Amino acid sequence: MISYDYHQPQSLEEAFQLKQTIQGSLYISGGTDVMVRIKNREIHPRALISLRSIPKLSGVENGNVIRIGAMTTITDLIRDPVLCEHYPILIQAARKLGSVQIRNVATVGGNLCNCSPAADLAPPLLVLGAKVRLQGGRKSRDVPIDKFFQGPGESCLASDEIMTDVLIGSPEQNPKTIFLKKGRVKMDLAIASVAVLIETEGDRCLTARIAAGSVAPVPLRLSQVESLLEGARFSPKLLSDIQQLSSKSVSPITDVRSTKEYRRHIVGALIKRALEKLMGWSEA
Amino acid sequence: MKKRISFTLNGSRVFVTVDSHQCLLDVLRGPLRLTGTKEGCGEGECGACTVIVDDLAVNSCLYPAFEVEGKSVMTIEGLTGPKNKLDIIQEAFVTNGAIQCGFCTPGMILSTKALLDSNPEPSDEEIRDALSGNLCRCTGYVQIIEAVKQVAGRHKNKL
Repeated sequence: MISYDYHQPQSLEEAFQLKQTIQGSLYISGGTDVMVRIKNREIHPRALISLRSIPKLSGVENGNVIRIGAMTTITDLIRDPVLCEHYPILIQAARKLGSVQIRNVATVGGNLCNCSPAADLAPPLLVLGAKVRLQGGRKSRDVPIDKFFQGPGESCLASDEIMTDVLIGSPEQNPKTIFLKKGRVKMDLAIASVAVLIETEGDRCLTARIAAGSVAPVPLRLSQVESLLEGARFSPKLLSDIQQLSSKSVSPITDVRSTKEYRRHIVGALIKRALEKLMGWSEA
Repeated sequence: MKKRISFTLNGSRVFVTVDSHQCLLDVLRGPLRLTGTKEGCGEGECGACTVIVDDLAVNSCLYPAFEVEGKSVMTIEGLTGPKNKLDIIQEAFVTNGAIQCGFCTPGMILSTKALLDSNPEPSDEEIRDALSGNLCRCTGYVQIIEAVKQVAGRHKNKL
């Protein structure tokens, strides 16, 4: 029989202490991934340390830097008016994460700390240049999100650390952004997902940030594709080159959701489609 | 590890002793004997176990029992009025033939309830999105969506 203790610390200090004292314990946020892995007997924690009762970990604070508490649920993220206005790409991705039931309990930090290559919030946070704040004991450090992910299920989070916040800098001058996800059905994990942020002047691309999910061991920026795009003038030939380079820049695997060949193809197609939509060449 | 928890269940305060590894679903169907909530996949994919916790639809199969302390839970049993009078949503499901085997129905109805309580006039897209976490293996989705639309219409008439 599956059995574990369940602790509900009221503060970070209490959480750190429990983690240190109980060998084989695991932090849990919304639980939509951890509970499934326990039920499938993939992990066997002796105790779960719930972070739900620590008030300072939830909520969105709007200042020079937007601070999203790691325990903010996806539903609360979608309902935040400031994020909806200034970071629509993050909201687009949040709306495509799981089902209503999942979004009502799953958290921003949980989505990231699970370190799935398919984490829906990762591509938009990558193009927004977000950082994550990790705290262990009294020490806290801010890590750029592209340095956080280290492999499927692996991050730079130390075993005694908790992700407390996601930090996003001030929005840039009217960037055009879009998140596209290809899944078999609506609530599925992504076969591939892309986030594209561009700034343009006429038909010239001034800056470009492009990230993709489910097409490599980690969600990642496609810097070669960004370089090809920056400074170039948009044309059908450019988009075709972008599509080909995007497909070559990723290293997907074959799994239950898709073959690697299809993932390679679809990521290029999605990036081309995203740029067409942002340039008004096709319907949004 | 055991704990005595208390929460509001379908409008009444309940006290129950639960194990640390139990989910809300286990507690509802076990000691509380409310078997209207179904277990399908047990991993948050099918939505058969959907209940409403503090106005939000959740999968009770993934909801740790300890976390229910102090919260308000509604199950399908809480929807029926005095003398077993069906709720407006249940009636619409019956009228529209939105039930075949009935296993997904409690979850479908609670997802609908959570949607309409927060958004009384949802668009077709919003209805589909709200029910995307509820699977019907009889695949009677068209009738289910029609039933929800009918209730949404009735809500409109009430205003």
